[in-house]
Amino acid sequence: MRKLIVLSLLLIAFGTGAAQAHAFLDHASPSVGSTVRSAPHEVTLSFTLNIEAASSNVQVTDSSGARVDEGKAQISGKTMRIGLKALKPGTYRVRWHVLSVDAHNAEGSFSFTVSGS
Amino acid sequence: MLGHRWFVRAFRLGMRPRAFALVLLFALLPFSQASAHCFVGPRFFPATLVIDDPCVADEMALPTVDWFKTGTVPSGNQWDISVEFDKRITEDLGFGISDVWTQIRTPGGPVAVGFGNLETTLQYQLLKDASHETAMLLGLIVDWGGTGNVNAGIGSSYSMLTPTYYFGQGLGGLPDDLGFARPLAITGQIGYQIPTTSYLVSQNTYIPQVLVYGASLQYSMPYLKSEVKDLQLPDFVNHLIPIVEMQLFTPVTNNFGNPSITTGTVNPGVIYVGSYYQIGLEAIIPVNGASGNGIGVLGQFHLYLDDMFPKTLGQPLIGGTPTTPAKPQ
Repeated sequence: MRKLIVLSLLLIAFGTGAAQAHAFLDHASPSVGSTVRSAPHEVTLSFTLNIEAASSNVQVTDSSGARVDEGKAQISGKTMRIGLKALKPGTYRVRWHVLSVDAHNAEGSFSFTVSGS
Repeated sequence: MLGHRWFVRAFRLGMRPRAFALVLLFALLPFSQASAHCFVGPRFFPATLVIDDPCVADEMALPTVDWFKTGTVPSGNQWDISVEFDKRITEDLGFGISDVWTQIRTPGGPVAVGFGNLETTLQYQLLKDASHETAMLLGLIVDWGGTGNVNAGIGSSYSMLTPTYYFGQGLGGLPDDLGFARPLAITGQIGYQIPTTSYLVSQNTYIPQVLVYGASLQYSMPYLKSEVKDLQLPDFVNHLIPIVEMQLFTPVTNNFGNPSITTGTVNPGVIYVGSYYQIGLEAIIPVNGASGNGIGVLGQFHLYLDDMFPKTLGQPLIGGTPTTPAKPQ
């Protein structure tokens, strides 16, 4: 009986392909909730897993909701980048959505502030 | 999750070939995009240890272990070891099965040992509102009479049905001025337990109908890091969710001859959330003398099957739907 249990658990653990998990935001630049003195030229998001380029996206908006990102998001491995227009001092919102390589959706948002001084 | 839970039960019930076939079956199920365990937008509601989380999911608690001193006179030492397996039938409909092994040692008395009644749960996901971090769930818990050790007083000869409503609400919608409160979330459940027998002739006892209710207050460090402010804390800390749970039982009707008193516990603790699993540890603090004596302890190892096996066990049995990614607005 014990052998059967062990065999079955091994089947579950290793017989179904590589296991993956949800892609979480590992870190960002500018970092989540931070205040930066000079306006960044891009936002970089690093996730805990590789993400699918075709189904992942990021947008950056100012306090009035106007888009301030520029160009198309660049996705490579675990990293997603998007360029920014020239930012004035103020608070900006980054909204992201990613599809990880194991087909799990994840989304989130955070703010950063440009102090300009 | 499924495999182990079924195996535990299967071996006990002498159904080894059937259980093995189930594992093989799920190993061959098709693959599609998964919506995961209890993620509601950016909010993750962990599997709570005492009450249930507000989502159907593919997950397994293996095991949950607790120890406490009973509220009887004299007080006894009670150990419980339980396993629970939950599986989505469709994206919104889920099924759960659990059982518990219990040992109670009372000074000067016999040792009561055995399995409790088999418990099954059917749940339907009413709502998952990502923008408001809100989840709602309806469930029917059935405690199957006669499936546990009735002679030891651990199982019962009668069944109990408990229709239950569950909810979860993240506070991520709070204004930025209250940013450090945004990682807070509340979950809860309220159910009405109806026994299939109102009077137990053998013990000359009325079996009451009971209101079963509870809640949790949790603070998500992962949410703080990714949504509010990255404080550059150690990685271990960023995986923690401090939590306080509470579950109470209040007899409502048919309680003749029994003390009409609410019993229950308050359970402060912490949950560590990993990629494929979580580990929870909580204290068991009885709300009164009838609920227990002193402080007990509760621990759980919990597996996220949808993350471990996204192409097989982590899929709903029927209609694993390729979800359309919700692009940020």
